[in-house]
Order: sequence, then C-alpha cells, then structure tokens
Amino acid sequence: MTGVFLLNTGSTIEEGRLAKGGSKLTDDYTRECAVCEMNLADFLAMGSPDRVKVTSRDGHSVVVYAYGAEKLSSGQVFMPRAIWSNVVVDPETFSSGSPLYKGSPVKVEPSNDMVLSAEELTAKLYKLQKRG
Amino acid sequence: MVTKNIVCPVCGASCDDIQVELEGQGLTVRNACKMGNAKFQEVVSPHRIKEPLVRVDGDLRRASWDEAIEMTARILANSERPLLFMGSETSTEAMEVGIHMAEFLGGIADSNSTVCHGPTTMGIQEAGRVGATAGQSKSRADLTVYWGSNPLESMPRHMSRYAVYPRGYWTQRGRFDRTVICVDPRRSITAENADLHIQLNPNTDYELLSALLTLLHGKRPHQTAEEVTGVSISEMEKMLDMMKSCSFGAIYVGLGIASSYGKHRNAELAFNLVKELNSHTKFVIGALRGHCNVAGFNQIASYLYGFPFGLDFARGYPRYNPGEYTAVDVLRDRDVDAAFILSADLVSHFPAACSEYLAQIPVACIDIAPCPTTMISDVVLPGVIDAMECDGTFYRLDDVPIYFQPFTSSPFSFTESNVDTMNQIFKRVKRIKGK
Repeated sequence: MTGVFLLNTGSTIEEGRLAKGGSKLTDDYTRECAVCEMNLADFLAMGSPDRVKVTSRDGHSVVVYAYGAEKLSSGQVFMPRAIWSNVVVDPETFSSGSPLYKGSPVKVEPSNDMVLSAEELTAKLYKLQKRG
Repeated sequence: MVTKNIVCPVCGASCDDIQVELEGQGLTVRNACKMGNAKFQEVVSPHRIKEPLVRVDGDLRRASWDEAIEMTARILANSERPLLFMGSETSTEAMEVGIHMAEFLGGIADSNSTVCHGPTTMGIQEAGRVGATAGQSKSRADLTVYWGSNPLESMPRHMSRYAVYPRGYWTQRGRFDRTVICVDPRRSITAENADLHIQLNPNTDYELLSALLTLLHGKRPHQTAEEVTGVSISEMEKMLDMMKSCSFGAIYVGLGIASSYGKHRNAELAFNLVKELNSHTKFVIGALRGHCNVAGFNQIASYLYGFPFGLDFARGYPRYNPGEYTAVDVLRDRDVDAAFILSADLVSHFPAACSEYLAQIPVACIDIAPCPTTMISDVVLPGVIDAMECDGTFYRLDDVPIYFQPFTSSPFSFTESNVDTMNQIFKRVKRIKGK
C-alpha cells in the first residue's frame, strides 16, 4: 500500500532531551527522530516496512524508520519535530508566517534506501552554494 | 555549593525553582525535567562551541573573536535586506538589540514566536483574549483543557507545577479536584492521562470549535459536523457540559491549533468560544509556549514597534504583514540576501525550501552546540547560556516577566552574554556604515 497521509509533527520528550542537550548530530538523535509512526493497520497493509520514503507536495523527500502504533487513526502519520520531518513540512503559511507543521499531505511508500543522520542529510540536501 | 531558585532556560514554563550544584566539571541539577537537565549539562558539555568559527574556502575554521565579529558585521552591513532572526532561549535584552539592528539596517526582524504561536497571536489581535496568570489557574482551575497540545512531552512540568497536580487555594486536593480534557488527533501520553480525550480528525479544529459554539448557542450542529470532525455530537455535548459546569476552566492551546489548517482562524474561534463561555462560568485561555522566552519577542516587539512579530523596516518604519515579511515566507520566496540567527536552528526546524536558500546566502549565527544551522553558517559565534552564565529577562508562557540570575559566569574572555555579543556586532555594523 502506498498512499497520501496527513503528517502530524510534534514533540517527543526524548527529542526534547537530545535537542536541548546539544545532541542533534548524534546517532541517538537519529534513532529517536528519523522515524515515521503509522496507524498499525496502515503499517501492516504496507507490508511492515523497516524504512519508508516520505515525500511532500513540493517534491522534497526523506527516508526514515517506520513503525506501527495504536495512537493514530488510519490515514495519519506522526514524525517527531526535527530535520527529517521538516524536510517534508509544507512551506505554505496561509498568510500567517507559520508553515503547516501539522496536517501537511505527504506520500508514504516503503524504501530500501539508507536513513541519513542530521549531518548527512544537511550535507546532502542543503549543499553549500554560497554567493557573495 | 547549592544555588537555589535558578530559572530554567528551556520551555515556556520558565520554571524558577531549579537547584544546581556545580563542582568542577560535574553539575547536579534538582527539580528540572528531562529537557531542562539536558540543557543545564551544556555548561560542562564537551561539545560546547568554545571558539569562533569562520568559513574560508568552503570550510569552517577557527578564528579570532575580532575576526568573527568583523565578518558578521560585514555580512549584515553589505546586505540590502537582511533577516535578523531572534531565537527564544535567550534574553529579551539580546532580542531588543537585534530588533534595533534590523531597524538600523532596513531589514526584517522575526523570531521563533512566528512559527510557534504566531497564528495564536494573530487570533488574539482578531478576537481579544480572556487570560490569567499560571498562578490563578493553579489556585482556581477545576477544569483543564489541553487543545492541540501534549505538555507531558513538550512542557513536562506544566501539569505538575501549574495546571493539574498542584494543590491550589481552591483546589486543595490537587488532581482529585480537577478534570482534564485533551483534544488531539493522536492518542498522546497526555490524552491517555486525561479524563476525556476528544480524538478529532486532523485539520478540523475550526469545525469542532464552530460546532461547540453552535451547541453553546442552544442549537444543534449540522449532522455533517460528525463526519468532518470525527467527533460525535453526543461527545461534543459531553465536553461542553463539562466546560459549562466547572467553576473555573482553563484552555491551553498548542500547535495543534496554530500549525494546522485554519491557522489564526482556529485561534480566533477558540478565543471567541472562551469569551462566550464566560456567560456561564469563569473561563480563560492561554498558549503553551515552546521556549522559555518565545513570548518575550512578542512583548518587546509590540511595545517597541507596535507589532508582535515579522517586522519589516525596509521603508525605515515598521511594517507588519504575516505571510509577506515573516521569516519562513521571505526565505521560501528568496526575499532576503543574508541572515543573522541568534540561538535558533532554522535549518532543522524550517521547511526544506527555506533551508535550501539559507545554504545559498551569507549566514552568521550565535549558538552553543553544533547543529545543522552551524554547518551551513559562514560565521559561528559561541553563545553564552542565559540564566546559567548571565542575567536577563524571560517572559513566561503567561506573559509574566521573569528576571533570572546566573549561577556561574561566561566561560569566554571576549563576551559576557549574548547581549554583549549583540552590542559588539551592532557597534561594528555602525562603524562600517560610518555612523
């Protein structure tokens, strides 16, 4: 199963502990935040993938670890607020200045690609092209 | 020696009862939550940024303080339209220098408060707000509603310190005298601990608030409200009955309101619902603010320049138009040509389109630890940790100013605080501009 889901991003206490402790470039942070929580039935229907590729409407994508849980209704996914989730957050602010951190439509599909660390993802996606 | 009553510089709770004992390279912290303790340990952390870094031939290398200040000032002075972004875990005094610098340069001043509760602030501008200090809610509230918020993971001591568990003057049995409702599409840990969990569909806060207002007006919402929100009308009635029959109700909205589809209109409707609930009982509403001083930017920007966030000084006077002069929008639309970032990790927490552009323009930042934003910056200035190494002011989640004092001093010889660093940059910018 591949489909369009509504992405909810938000805090987890371990994400908070690691971010506030200056540990964003560590393996612990990747394990905690480079994840996509799915509705259990959706996860099973997708074949219980180890990793999924999440793609936004504007074409940005990120590969993260996947797991199923009973916390969400079908059609919704949750990712901790961190660099991985924000790659696929819709940048439209609806004239408010605040992007759609909650409720962005995303495509989720199984993937065999590697999950990148925050450092690797920054280097890959945001390659320096400095002007001036 | 144990130092008491230290203010925690992490979330909007700005807890002021932290005890610390610093002995050599060991730091013992009492009363702080997991997030707070992690940040306090930054004082003795091995990964702390201790030296200025500047980019030379594509790589960051160590530099002298004077060289780094000069390069930061030149980035700002040479820019036609710089973005000065003020993070929220530093003092209002440091933010104030940044806003004045944006005015001097004709740039844009913005802050985390925009991507945090900017839409909620716009809702207040539309509807007004019935509010209370955290102490009032602690003493009086017998009903607490967490709407689109998950304090057990984002503001861990909110329930134990202000809203649910503490024994107040009129709530002497603590949790036993209070009822908790949680409105969240996800069965979060806060929802599991609530007496009633309203599990609405994502992006339907506006519809649910409208249905509650309809019920409050004595009418029945259209039946499609159930399908749209995923909440039965009988559940809505149950929730509203609990709200009308309490003695003092407090709603704490989170980013579930501000970040979902509907944005400031969700917030506006929530404020209107609370206003009307006051015809039946006492009800207040406030935002769970993410950082210890995210409310501070709104406060000082409002009283200095008349607008709470997203200030554009291109014409020499402040202009405010969310969606046009706000940080995410100017980066997404490539409408600035340089950025200065104080104590914030925009590359991690802004959408990809914004981070891509930050990697293309000159950027200077102040930070305490390596992160994606320091990776793409041209200048990295070591940050001083507010409330631990210098004094200043935070505005708590309920907009109460909290003056904080340090338990140690700046580890640097070249700066005493982020205010000091900001003033040094501003002075250099003025010198370059010949003023």
